[in-house]
Amino acid sequence: MSGAPGERGLRARDLALSAGGRTLLAGLDLLLAPGERLALVGPSGAGKTTLLRTLATLVDPAAGSLSLDGQPPQRVGYPEWRRRVVLVPQVPAFHDTTVAVALARPFSFRVASAPFPEARARELLARTGLEASAVLSQSARTLSVGQQQRVALVRALLVEPECLLLDEPTSGLDAATTSQVEALLSDLPGTACLIVTHDAVQASRLAPRTLDLAPLVRAVSQ
Amino acid sequence: MTAAAAHGAIPLDAVDLAIASGLVVIAGLTSLALGTGLVGRLAVASVRTVLQLLLVGYVLEWVFGLDSAPAVMACLAFMLVVAGRTAVRRAERTFRGATWRAILTLTLTGLSTALTVTALVIRVEPWWDPQYLLPIIGMVLGNTLTGLSLSIDKLLEDLSERAALIESDLALGATRWEAGRDAVTGAVRRGMIPILNAMTVAGLVSLPGMMTGQILAGQRPLDAVLYQIVVMFMLAAASAMGATGVALFTWHRLFDARHQLRSERIRRR
Repeated sequence: MSGAPGERGLRARDLALSAGGRTLLAGLDLLLAPGERLALVGPSGAGKTTLLRTLATLVDPAAGSLSLDGQPPQRVGYPEWRRRVVLVPQVPAFHDTTVAVALARPFSFRVASAPFPEARARELLARTGLEASAVLSQSARTLSVGQQQRVALVRALLVEPECLLLDEPTSGLDAATTSQVEALLSDLPGTACLIVTHDAVQASRLAPRTLDLAPLVRAVSQ
Repeated sequence: MTAAAAHGAIPLDAVDLAIASGLVVIAGLTSLALGTGLVGRLAVASVRTVLQLLLVGYVLEWVFGLDSAPAVMACLAFMLVVAGRTAVRRAERTFRGATWRAILTLTLTGLSTALTVTALVIRVEPWWDPQYLLPIIGMVLGNTLTGLSLSIDKLLEDLSERAALIESDLALGATRWEAGRDAVTGAVRRGMIPILNAMTVAGLVSLPGMMTGQILAGQRPLDAVLYQIVVMFMLAAASAMGATGVALFTWHRLFDARHQLRSERIRRR
């Protein structure tokens, strides 16, 4: 099922999520308009990460449908969808390569339409508090979790997605670096962000609107 | 040696087997003295070896005597099914449908390589002559199933333990092939290791089985060597095609058309 004609943004309709044979939540409707920021909160196990993975089409919903600018994933094409709706996991995974190679990897995929923008990568690394000259030649796996989270964020931004799905993007960062990352996230014109956070204050700082999954979880468990 | 060259293989009788079994008894006594706890297993393995090989000997004699293509095909089918099941059972992990994929891979690779040798190299008439086809397909399956099982094992291990890494590629727009290619090539490499090792040391560390058999049967060593070279090339081709085929079948089963990794389909034994 596709979205309404002319609709812009990422849309989920009547979504139900399950994991390990258990229904996590049902009846979720969501529209993330271009450039919009939405914080996603809810108790542990509510399905926040599963929702992000579902919106990235890495797993199928138990029920319901997705669309991007009114087009379902099968019409957009799954690799193309994931280029436009990029998930940044809480604990990123990297191949056993340098940070430079890790950042360039998405540009080696068939779906890539432009070469690796190295100058932009250096700029974004600096804006997340990482010194490009030091970090680019380091092994991505030897970085701290906080550094890996920032490299993963930079890698996602380099592909210039329309929607960013961020799972606890600052959970491994100190207060000063968190401020830098938040400033970067607040300065992404045209990029919609769905941000999972446990921090209600951060949610209010980053997004004017908050989606709480708790009522949807309660509806399923009753 | 002179007697063998003049008269072909020297036939053995029950007394000869009894003397050889003395060697296994020595191995058993050594195990007993060292307290390895392997005496029972050694005894069972020895009895199984005798019974299985005698059974195979009688079956082969019967099939050779029938001189019937359907009987040879039935033997082939049986060998392929047993080899496919064994290849999958040896792996630590599996998935639904693994066995028939292994059997199909062995059928395609085993038949194409063995028939190339019997029909085009040795030029056997008819092409299904059991005296040639069955031992050759037996060698192919015996070697290929090891490569197959190593290939499946490595691929399922990678897809299970590196799922987050593969998904991170998928999440950035990789196709299922781009995300799974490293795991597939790693699996093929693992599956090729036994035959590459065998080819590297062929004739240096030990004489390969077929060559040894032919020499014991009175064949000139250089003629036996030519056969062995053909066999090694056949086994290399079968191992490469088998390891590749089963890795591609497995990859296709564990990545769906939506370019999703379906690692939940993998289960440990």
